[in-house]
Amino acid sequence: MKHVLLGAAVAAMSVTGANAQEISLGRFFGACEDAGTDTTTSVGEACIIQSIINAADAELDGVTVNTLPTDWGNYYDQMIAAYAGGEPPDVHVMHRHRIPQFASLGALANLTDDLAGVGVDVTDWAPAALDAVSYDGAIYGVPMDFHANLWHVNMEIMEAAGLMNDDGSPILPTSPEEVLAHAAMVEEATGQDYLAADFAQFPLGVRLVLALIWQQGSNVFDGDTATIDTPEARAAIAAVTQLFDAGYADPQLNYADSQQAFLNGEAAILVNGTWVVDFYDTEASNPEVALSSYYVADFPTLFDQGATWADSHMWAIPASLPRDNPEAYQAALQVLAFINEHNIDWARTGHMAVRNSVLGSEAYASLPHRDEYTGTADIARDTPASVHYGAIQDVLNRELQAIWLTGKPVEEALADAELEVQDLLDD
Amino acid sequence: MVNRSYYWLILALSIPAFLWLIPTIWMISLSFQPNDVLARTTSSTFFGLIPLPFTAENYAALFSFGQTPRWFLNSAIVAGGMTLGVLFVSTTAGYALARLTFPFKTPILLLCLIGLMVPEQAVFIPLYTMFADLGWHNSYHALILPRMAVPIGVFLMMQFFKAIPKDIEEAARIDGVGWLQIFWYVMLPLARPAMMTLAILTFLYAWNDYLWPLVSAREPERFTITLGLASIQSNFAQSEGLGRVMASGVIASLPVVALFLMFQRYVVQAMTAGGSKG
Amino acid sequence: MTTKAPKRRGLTEGQAAVVLLLPFLTVYAAFLIYPFFRGIWISLHDWNLLAVAFNPDAREFVGLENYVRTLWGRNIEWSSFTSPVIQTVGVLGAGLAFWAWRRGRMSKATALAIGLVGLVFFIMPGFHPGEDGRWYDRRFWPTVGNTIIFVAWAVPGVTVTALILAAALDGDTRAKSILRTLFFLSQVLSVTVVTLIWQIMFSPRQGLIANVTEALGGTPIVWLTDEQFAMAAIVIATIWWSLGIAMILFLAGIQDISKDIYEAASIDGATGLKAFWCITLPNLKRTITVVIVLQIILHFQVFGQAHLMTQGGPNDSTQVLVRYIYQTAFRDSELGEASAMAVFLFVIMGAFSIIQFVVGRETD
Repeated sequence: MKHVLLGAAVAAMSVTGANAQEISLGRFFGACEDAGTDTTTSVGEACIIQSIINAADAELDGVTVNTLPTDWGNYYDQMIAAYAGGEPPDVHVMHRHRIPQFASLGALANLTDDLAGVGVDVTDWAPAALDAVSYDGAIYGVPMDFHANLWHVNMEIMEAAGLMNDDGSPILPTSPEEVLAHAAMVEEATGQDYLAADFAQFPLGVRLVLALIWQQGSNVFDGDTATIDTPEARAAIAAVTQLFDAGYADPQLNYADSQQAFLNGEAAILVNGTWVVDFYDTEASNPEVALSSYYVADFPTLFDQGATWADSHMWAIPASLPRDNPEAYQAALQVLAFINEHNIDWARTGHMAVRNSVLGSEAYASLPHRDEYTGTADIARDTPASVHYGAIQDVLNRELQAIWLTGKPVEEALADAELEVQDLLDD
Repeated sequence: MVNRSYYWLILALSIPAFLWLIPTIWMISLSFQPNDVLARTTSSTFFGLIPLPFTAENYAALFSFGQTPRWFLNSAIVAGGMTLGVLFVSTTAGYALARLTFPFKTPILLLCLIGLMVPEQAVFIPLYTMFADLGWHNSYHALILPRMAVPIGVFLMMQFFKAIPKDIEEAARIDGVGWLQIFWYVMLPLARPAMMTLAILTFLYAWNDYLWPLVSAREPERFTITLGLASIQSNFAQSEGLGRVMASGVIASLPVVALFLMFQRYVVQAMTAGGSKG
Repeated sequence: MTTKAPKRRGLTEGQAAVVLLLPFLTVYAAFLIYPFFRGIWISLHDWNLLAVAFNPDAREFVGLENYVRTLWGRNIEWSSFTSPVIQTVGVLGAGLAFWAWRRGRMSKATALAIGLVGLVFFIMPGFHPGEDGRWYDRRFWPTVGNTIIFVAWAVPGVTVTALILAAALDGDTRAKSILRTLFFLSQVLSVTVVTLIWQIMFSPRQGLIANVTEALGGTPIVWLTDEQFAMAAIVIATIWWSLGIAMILFLAGIQDISKDIYEAASIDGATGLKAFWCITLPNLKRTITVVIVLQIILHFQVFGQAHLMTQGGPNDSTQVLVRYIYQTAFRDSELGEASAMAVFLFVIMGAFSIIQFVVGRETD
């Protein structure tokens, strides 16, 4: 008996006496210094994720989390530099389209067998989510969300233009011709632009065009062949540029400016992602902000089938961690499990949750505007997997911006894009 | 000669000088405005420049959370360390090249000369791989050491030492003073003005360096203030926390501006000595 | 010396030299010489940053292939009519330099420098892909071109402004000294502060320029994303930033001109503008050349303004060489190609440094 007690005492001491395991965590989403630890009241991507991280730091015994925020534009440059320098963060967020690039090199830790041990139930993940974090049959990350492009709508303007249904939802176009017609109605009734989006900076404009290409049943590359210079691509681009030519949209706005335009009531529709739903919702309730009646709509189907660009955020651990520091690895897994636990809190941003148990819950269904874009999950698509995803997206961004910012002829831009993407695929 | 036309000239020049200052003044002005006002408009000002809703909250925020104080400290350590390091290697090598005779002097001199031609961008990639292999990235020495290898400091000190009359040295040699003692007790004190200049120039350069810290400092905790400021310039920060970003910019600039204002003389001297005399 | 010298303690001259030179030479060899040669070595390999980090054998020696892939293409031809404007300017420039040297109006070194640059401007733009041909790296030469355009705008801008200001502000009065300080102040700011200020200045929504334009009833220009204005935007920011050093150099040069000449001229009635034109300028020739070459070297290495203000856009119109090198190395992970471009940059910078050195050593 004495031995048992002694053994238990020793065991207890060794657990509590151990130093807190420090985990470094890399992420983007922006900075939020005063996020606190209440995950249910924070607003906006930056603060919600930081509150979850802070809560993990506070609540996980023996684990402290040190956040290394990086701005979105430079994130992967710094990630690559960190990996190359041998010092990647212990836990970091990634987009699923980057998995081929990192996993194929053996950079990420294979989590398949270790997740159950920290209480992560992979069967609770929506099939698409499990698929998103898998590569070559193994699981390389814990998914956190699906995010897709939506049409954020200013209902006041739509109403004034006569584009509102009886139930308060907006009347959205079902073809490129209707886009132009609706835009004219908005212009005539209110003098405002129909559509705003970041066409000038981040690849948001690319994703808009991609969605329209997918809606016609086509794609930008197929395996190892680039298929960019196609009639579908031209039609997709034309659907967008017709708005620029008629003055119903401004291609020169960047991310901040387009967002500001929407919030100031200068555009009826802002094409942006799921990540700003709660931010715009909060702004809409602010009497000093012009936007007041706010609706979130699925990306409308302008061609044959529904499609909108989507991607997925996930959390990964570098392969070097389990190898070099098994204790830190365990702590890192606990952090991932914690984030997985709080999937409902992250979903408050507007992103779509990845766990079936959350998707079917009351709390999820009652999130603001959530019922307005339930269709998005069904039409969400992403570009085919490729090690060169980042570079391909860059090429498309550049060529498309060349079209609508510098007047480059569409045929030339598409031909050049196809050439460059083919180069990348051949590499 | 002070006459009417002089006053007109000064007046005429004050206008461009004021215009030249406007961007800086505007940054300061924005830093004293509240963020939520700025998210909507930047023209709630008096005469376009003086902030109307005046607040010091951005500066308060900078010091209570955020990394700015840490970045500031990093910059101070890196700039200070680099200055000391550069002073050390430049005065020693500068004196040796200026005054001592030794075998292989000419080839060594030429070797140092060639280094002046190499821009930092030609070596930052191999430096990066070297430091990565050594695991030295993300540290103070990674930020300080590469810059110490730039030979311009050596040349500045060399020019200076060359201009000192030889009698002092010769007198000391006759008295049996060793070379190193001459260097330490005689030459260095004489070199103070040049050292001041070199110190200030190096400090300025170190404080404002962007490319190398961008590549080498990975963790935001290790960022210098120049790098940190760049990292929060990203759009999200701009649309939501414009005042805060501007306040960071002001804080980042204060030390170098103060340094410059105090030591203008030396900076001017350096340019003069370096430029027109070749 | 005839008196007996006391016994010298301490080191011999040679030994002292070793002790004194060692610190610098160690750092120099380790952090400049060695990386320089290693950079060349890297440029001879196909080296993917990320892949090699995980598998050191993943790099492959490919000789000069990176240079071919970056600088050359398939089916490249040459003709003197590809870019007629630039090529004509190049030929004329070289010819003018030769003529000026022959006539004694220009020193040999300067003439040689201008002549070489002129020849380069004649030969380089003549290359173009023939039928069914293409450059292997479609972005490289346009990037070099953008860098040259940037330099071509920034250098004269800074030089002329600095010259005028230096001439106007030369003097020992308190007021002039204060004014000089005010103009110099922008030089001490870091590139990130400068780009921060000017990004906001140029913003069509939040910028001061936009505010003023709107107050005057106009529509604000979207500087940073308009192909016509993006380059102008970074040039303006650069001129604002880089005025200081050029101004000081000119001031030093002006102060070197003997005051007697001015007095003699004012007796003949030549003051103010005339004095500037006939006395100051000719005597500043060497300083002007030094300033120009220094500025060329400085601005050829531009990175921060293009990276932070315009991100190289729109449509690569402000993409500059150093930024392309940085992206190739750290975004695309292609160290070999990036190093090849860095070597190319070094060759250009080296040439200008030599020119600067030679010109600087000249006596009037």
